[in-house]
Amino acid sequence: MPAIPGARPKVTVDLDAMSTMDPAVAAMHDAAAKEMTVDGQELDVATETSEERRVRFERDAMQYVDQLYSAAMRMARNPADAEDLVQEAYTKAFSAFHQYKPGTNLKAWLYRILTNTYINLYRKRQREPLQSNSDTIEDWQLARAESHTSTGLRSAEAEALDHLPDSDVKRALQAIPEEFRLAVYFADVEGFAYKEISDIMNTPIGTVMSRLHRGRKMLRDMLADYAAERGFKAADTAAAAGSNTQENRK
Amino acid sequence: MSDCQGLGDCDDARMQRIYEYLDGALTHDDIAEIKDHLEACPECFEQYDLECVIRVMVKRSCTEAAPENLKNSILDRIHSSNAV
Repeated sequence: MPAIPGARPKVTVDLDAMSTMDPAVAAMHDAAAKEMTVDGQELDVATETSEERRVRFERDAMQYVDQLYSAAMRMARNPADAEDLVQEAYTKAFSAFHQYKPGTNLKAWLYRILTNTYINLYRKRQREPLQSNSDTIEDWQLARAESHTSTGLRSAEAEALDHLPDSDVKRALQAIPEEFRLAVYFADVEGFAYKEISDIMNTPIGTVMSRLHRGRKMLRDMLADYAAERGFKAADTAAAAGSNTQENRK
Repeated sequence: MSDCQGLGDCDDARMQRIYEYLDGALTHDDIAEIKDHLEACPECFEQYDLECVIRVMVKRSCTEAAPENLKNSILDRIHSSNAV
């Protein structure tokens, strides 16, 4: 059944830790959820049939396929793998759907499953070193990002960047390390709060913030660099600042 | 490069403040304070504006529609697993 070759993936999803809400808020939502209706009927998750659960899943979760696919594209780097990833994540989400608490953030819950699926399944297959669990990332200090580049950008800079094609933005995103890229994606594209990103990526809030800081800085420098390559105005200072990034990309 | 220290005493501190502002991670008081500052300080506003532009670009570039068949494949899988 899995579209991905090899053994059936062993994906460990920490379902108990999946609520993306603090307990006090979750309790309020639980109360609200009891009053939630399905086609005019009261929803009781404990007694719903598997058929009812499937209908509820299709109604509530399937609307996020495009969004999860977009995120998967930032993880898997090619459309076929992104599709596999989303399909696998949805299959897992469905089988664990009885553990999802109605009224909590379903999208964040799905994203967490997607991210876990990616870490456990896809990245293992890539045999790439796992960056996210390394202590070095925990140790990132904001001060360390400081020396990276100067942000010598001017207001015309914003205009220059704005002229970049979408393909450059995607290229720049792909070029920054995965943990930073995903944090930036979750914050900027999905608008998740730090706490939600911390739940999705299973990492402390402080780490989320430093990944965002570092990632955005890298992204900005890289975009300035691309603008310079394309000869857009106002990129002269950025071109000088970004020359080392240019080296790295080659 | 920053002359203004209104949002922090170095570039990193200033950017961190701007990120938190854009990320909605601040209290109402903080937000009001930063908003006032951005309106009064062209230097910080430039940085803020640039971050806004990048955010819009990222969002625009990364919004992709899933392939037509993906949704159906997922539904197929769900239906078959439900039948077991």
